Amino acid sequence: MDLTRRQLLGTAGVFSASALLAGCAGFSRPDSGGGEGGADLTFTTWASESEEVVFRSLVDRFQEANGVTVNLNVVPYEQIFRNIDAQLQSGTAPDVFRVDYGNLGVYSSQEQLLDLSDLVDNGNDFIPAFWQAVQFDGTPFGVPHQTDVSAIVYNVAAFQAAGITSVPDSLESAWTWDEFSGVLAQLRGSLPPEQYPFVYNWQLGGAPRWLSFLFAAGGRFVEDDLVTPAIDSDAGRRALDYTKGFFEQSWVPANSAVKSSTYADAVFLAETAVMASAGSFVVPGLDAAGFEWATTYLPRDQRGATDLGGNALVATAGTANPDLAAEFLRFMVEQEAMAEFCAATNELPTLTSLVDTELDYAVRPDVMPVFVQQATTLEESDVAQLTIPGMASVTTALQDQLDLAFTSGQSTEQTLANLSDAIGQATGA
Amino acid sequence: MTADTRSLSRPLAGRSPAPRTGGRSARLQEALAGYSFAAPNLVLIGLFLLYPVVSAVLISLRDARGFGDGDFIGLGNYARLLSDAAFWQSTANTVLFTAITVPLSMALGLGLAVLMNSVLPARGLFRTIIVLPMVVSGVATALVGVLIFDEGTGILNKLLRAIGGPALSWQSGGAEAFASVVIITLWVRVGFNMVIYLAGLQGVSPELYESARLDGANAWQQFRNVTLPLVGPSTFFLLVMNVIYSFQVFDIIFVMTGGGPGYSTSVLVTYAYQNGFVTREQGYAAALGIVLLIITLVFTALYWRASRARDLTD
Repeated sequence: MDLTRRQLLGTAGVFSASALLAGCAGFSRPDSGGGEGGADLTFTTWASESEEVVFRSLVDRFQEANGVTVNLNVVPYEQIFRNIDAQLQSGTAPDVFRVDYGNLGVYSSQEQLLDLSDLVDNGNDFIPAFWQAVQFDGTPFGVPHQTDVSAIVYNVAAFQAAGITSVPDSLESAWTWDEFSGVLAQLRGSLPPEQYPFVYNWQLGGAPRWLSFLFAAGGRFVEDDLVTPAIDSDAGRRALDYTKGFFEQSWVPANSAVKSSTYADAVFLAETAVMASAGSFVVPGLDAAGFEWATTYLPRDQRGATDLGGNALVATAGTANPDLAAEFLRFMVEQEAMAEFCAATNELPTLTSLVDTELDYAVRPDVMPVFVQQATTLEESDVAQLTIPGMASVTTALQDQLDLAFTSGQSTEQTLANLSDAIGQATGA
Repeated sequence: MTADTRSLSRPLAGRSPAPRTGGRSARLQEALAGYSFAAPNLVLIGLFLLYPVVSAVLISLRDARGFGDGDFIGLGNYARLLSDAAFWQSTANTVLFTAITVPLSMALGLGLAVLMNSVLPARGLFRTIIVLPMVVSGVATALVGVLIFDEGTGILNKLLRAIGGPALSWQSGGAEAFASVVIITLWVRVGFNMVIYLAGLQGVSPELYESARLDGANAWQQFRNVTLPLVGPSTFFLLVMNVIYSFQVFDIIFVMTGGGPGYSTSVLVTYAYQNGFVTREQGYAAALGIVLLIITLVFTALYWRASRARDLTD
């Protein structure tokens, strides 16, 4: 064949195009048929150091017991839901993933998760509030894996220096809001200007934790129908005025508002604040503190309240191995596996049978009973509100409006009116 | 490119006087060869630029939330933009950010380039130090910014306190937070501006300065009447690049302030991100993206017109 130079170069051009496009194969979907790289199941999660160790150990045990391969994919928390969303939309989602109770409603209400009605039959074994948290319209779409409610951690030496000698040692004796204000004022008086009495953990996606104040004041953010906004109320005003007071009286650092990029426990560890609200999952991190610290209960108003921390495990609707995925979920919430996971990570179990069991917590077991008891202040009506399908939008509204109220002087009335509008839009009221 | 094509066609043309039809076939073959060379880039541009842009336009016309395509709502998302106070504040912040960072980064870049172009001891070291932030990822630079501007534990407030001054509200005060992101942006961007200006300055003939000196021009007059006009092409290029960078700023603001306090540092891209990936309102976020695209296109069109006029006058 007589090939001219132009033909040769033209052919080379076509080949180079093919090679370039072949280079894009990295964007193609992973192996189908269950999981990546020929695995039978893919499990995507974020994990702290201690969580990753125990996740790996449990996955190994499941693989051995069932003779299957599970691909454990640990990703940073900051990106997991962006990835999962994109994967669900492109049909490349993992078989199983970890999700917080607030986000679960977003996926379950849009038919992205596997209906577990016929696959998981031990719903009654869970604490009712958490079993309710994984359901949408009465259908279970996941298993409640653990919880990690917030309580108060405090710097013992700073309390002593301020003359605070009595700290509540039971839920019943938890400080009232007025008593708590007294403690904050006492601390303010004894601390230098660059140190603060308190820091609350509503930063970096933690805005829904402000709702603990609303619930404690006897309020709700949606009515019983879970659609009609109810935040513009006396309880809403009381909760917002009380928390705005933290900033007005310099009881919390000015830069610890809702849009701050620093976590509350980091502020506590740096001793910029001598008291913080913190989930039990940060206990291993606080163990490195160079000072003595202890725990007590969140302040109460009309009632005690705390946040719905913790996560569920869910399987995706498009999984190629629904039975194996369900089997994996069942395995992860078996009493032995859950006890091992919670003990290793200082998190709280969701199985009723483990509530009264003293778990062998890896770090500071002495402080864990406070978290366990604080969890009992979470009521089913709180859970029902915190798991509505529009919760992600409610979280954004809380983030924007609370930040305006705390840092930009937006009035309580305006803030509640704006929140009410945003909640109405989120729920479709 | 033109020279290459000509040199390739020469042997064929010289081989025989091609008949009329043969000439057409040769031209066709030449065109095919050209397209085959351009094909990889055309495919990539189509796949990664045009397809996403067209998709974004289509999504912006839908009430897309979460999963699925969403209902077609025409210009509903654009109408919503008009009454969205956060959108207008983000737009105003974007324009203000651009108006501050573009001239400042160019002026500082030019000043440093003139300095680094002169006889300065260890100028290689200084050049490296100034350019260094350019090679560090935006997120890492922003994290350094957090270390510097943290109100409680940041270096800057510690220094201010040490010298007896008042600590500033770099994170809880709107104006201060805005200033902090501007400062970090300048830190990153000045190096790039300096490099481009330095390249421009090195093309300026020393004889021109010598001649200006002979005419009695002082240092400022030399800068004003020789340096500044002769780095005009660099200025033009940098103006366009800086405006585009400023309109697309995201990483530094996202990491340092998250758009807060309130909406004080929210810009169009952070607001679009929040809508698209946090509240999952992809339709509305796509509309925001298209608005940003239109603003950039308008600016680019103005640049083209000015550039053509400039070429003609040159």
